Amino acid sequence: MKKTLLLWAIFAGLMCLLPLFASSGTLRVFIFANFLAIFAMSWDILSGYTGYISFGHPFLIGIAGYTTAMLTRHLGTPLFLSMPLAVLVTMAGGTLFFFPALRTRGTYFALVTLAFMEVTYGLMQVVKPSLTGGTRGLSGLPLLVTGAIPNYYLSFFVMFLIALGLWALTRSGLGTALSAIRMDEDAVKSAGLSTSKLKLFAFMLSALVAGIGGALYTHYLGSISPRGMFDINFLFTILIAALIGGEQSIVGPILGAYFLTFLLEYLRPYIPGAWRFLLYGVIALVVYYYAPKGLYSIFQAGANRFGKKTRRNGQYGQTT
Amino acid sequence: MAKLLDVQSFTKKFGGLFAVYDLSFHVDEGESLGLIGPNGSGKTTTFNMIMRELKQDEGEIYFEGKEISRYSTHERVKMGISRTYQIPRPFREMSVTKNIRVGIMPDEIIRIISMNSQSDTEREIGKSVGFKEHALAMYPRELSMGDLRRLELARALATNPKLLLLDEVFAGLTVREISELSELLKKKRKEGLTFIIVSHDLKTLAPLVDRVVVVNFGQLIADGSFEDVIANKKVKEAYLGK
Repeated sequence: MKKTLLLWAIFAGLMCLLPLFASSGTLRVFIFANFLAIFAMSWDILSGYTGYISFGHPFLIGIAGYTTAMLTRHLGTPLFLSMPLAVLVTMAGGTLFFFPALRTRGTYFALVTLAFMEVTYGLMQVVKPSLTGGTRGLSGLPLLVTGAIPNYYLSFFVMFLIALGLWALTRSGLGTALSAIRMDEDAVKSAGLSTSKLKLFAFMLSALVAGIGGALYTHYLGSISPRGMFDINFLFTILIAALIGGEQSIVGPILGAYFLTFLLEYLRPYIPGAWRFLLYGVIALVVYYYAPKGLYSIFQAGANRFGKKTRRNGQYGQTT
Repeated sequence: MAKLLDVQSFTKKFGGLFAVYDLSFHVDEGESLGLIGPNGSGKTTTFNMIMRELKQDEGEIYFEGKEISRYSTHERVKMGISRTYQIPRPFREMSVTKNIRVGIMPDEIIRIISMNSQSDTEREIGKSVGFKEHALAMYPRELSMGDLRRLELARALATNPKLLLLDEVFAGLTVREISELSELLKKKRKEGLTFIIVSHDLKTLAPLVDRVVVVNFGQLIADGSFEDVIANKKVKEAYLGK
């Protein structure tokens, strides 16, 4: 535990020093990676842990984005009010995921969540365009901070605090109970636990994280559109970041998000347009084939080997 | 002795087939009851209804004198009813201690989060059912059928039950494992735990039970001491045919 906390501290320290060396272009890539990490962790706490696969996570992120966008645009609500309100509305949206989860599991649950996303996509385009901005969305929204460095620090610290909070929660009995639901929900009930209560908590927690990420992301971009928010590519990017990084670990989705964002960005000069997605799909498959538990498992195996080696050296007094 | 569990006129229909029909029986506090019958006679369905994993179509169920039909599975476990499964259902990616840990978890999110991760309770429960220290860190895929049944039992005991339902607890075990498990159940019986045991192994069951209820085609055909029931004509017909 202490060793892991030390690793978290080293990670935070290195990331804090990054603006001293990195260009503003690189920092902007990191900002996107931080947001993707938040979204992927939000997916992980719901789907990775409980096994209720969500195909509708952009629905939650979109609710937060649109709520704060409309509040600031039409009512002139200040950001310090509009963003918490957006998070609360997203958590209410999270309960919409919970109700089908009382009755459906597996593929059916995934399809219901996908339907949530698709229906909202359609509604945002046609219902009250004067409010939502229709197909073009809303732009010129107020920004929380300006410039690459402040945005980098803001996105990183929010991502880091969320990661640390979720990591601590999932290392407690809660992580065990949520994982048990994924393995055998009926057996969890037979162990005397209310799975409805546990699922509701996981869904609300996931919505809370998605809401924070969605609201911040919208005021980082300064705009929101249905195509950008409810696009199927956005959904797959979140899913692949979580899976390639290693679901059910919280750390994995961060690794996945950084890996994917930089991969896409550095492929940009060599492979134009949508072809990048094809290559990134292939790379995701290769990583998934060789490390089915994601990049985190490789990272963990390396750390274990290093730990064993250090212990062995310590044992025989052969420290070099 | 006071009735701990009282099942009255349980009926369950799957499509056009009655899996259980008008079944009534009870178990007293501290008693050990055998529930036997040929394959497909409705024993596991009865267990599923007692735990509310299946809802009965008709009938009532009383636990400690209280009608509990509307109570969900986890609420019944909290009241003191627990079960094991015919086919062990461990949490496959968790060690033995973590599996048992799920059983001792309180049903409150805050208390689950603040649970002490260094607690010895799960280790003690694990050892009390016969796990050796090294086996506590093992995963279900590394365990024999006997150990999987021990794990089921440990997880059920972790909920601190007053009544334990054991479904085919001896199935797939070696002679030695059966003997060890029987001794363990006898010990728990002495400690005052009430059991309902489903088993096809009548020889092993005999010394463990005070009374036996026999079902066939979902209906009660006999209720009495082991010796009386075995001598019963209807029971012989159910097992051997006319």
